[in-house]
Amino acid sequence: MDPQVAGKTYPDVAFVVDPARVEAFRRVFDMPAGVPPTFLTAAEFTVMPTVIEDPELGLDFTRVLHGSQSYELHRPIVEGEILTVRARIGSIRVKGTSGFLTIVMDMVDAEGLPVATATSVMIERGPA
Amino acid sequence: MSVRPFDGVRVGEELPSLVRVVTAADVQAYADAGGDHNPLHQDEAFARSVGFPGTLAHGMFTMGHMAACVCAWAGDPAAVTAISAGFRAPVFMGERIVAGGRVKALDPERRTVTLETWVSLERDGQTGWPVKKGEAVVRLG
Repeated sequence: MDPQVAGKTYPDVAFVVDPARVEAFRRVFDMPAGVPPTFLTAAEFTVMPTVIEDPELGLDFTRVLHGSQSYELHRPIVEGEILTVRARIGSIRVKGTSGFLTIVMDMVDAEGLPVATATSVMIERGPA
Repeated sequence: MSVRPFDGVRVGEELPSLVRVVTAADVQAYADAGGDHNPLHQDEAFARSVGFPGTLAHGMFTMGHMAACVCAWAGDPAAVTAISAGFRAPVFMGERIVAGGRVKALDPERRTVTLETWVSLERDGQTGWPVKKGEAVVRLG
């Protein structure tokens, strides 16, 4: 991975909090109602492949594992609303043969107000 | 949904644990709902080609299970204001996972509770294999 890419931002992507998809997600986890907080992963994955496959980063996706994840919710997510997902590379650290890529995504609502921040750390394992 | 009342919650209180067996069908349903179609979770041959004994559950599948445990205790998913987890070990198909948590701190002014949370693998009745360690903040009623 190229540490110089830290700070790079990606184009905004719209994400609809589709009630049918929320229901399918809830069903996986046997949850009775509401929007599960980790449903935000669906919003992240509208952009995640673009980031992981970004040639500027030079990641070998066959060696990428999800290392950690955090969500900060500034307010509850509402079914049916449209979020704008703004992704950026938070940091890139290389330790030995492994690389640690922090991806930060801010989600904002139609008024431009912050709804949530998702932070993912992806680990590129060193070659075996 | 009725959110749990803040009054009555004590530091050290444990959340009821939540157990499930990970199946390929559930992981497939998760991939569809969550939008992560990494072949590592769906394609046996691919998973073996990159050094795993078989397909593994998404880290977010296990974290989703952890979140379900937190939401069940809080009484409403909308109560969760923060949730995080470190992914410590892979979980394979057929494995039994147990999510749990404990009250770590209380903020009476904001009526928020900080929880220490985890997911462990259960093998032979033992749950000593942590696959997730995390934290959550919930705003109670």
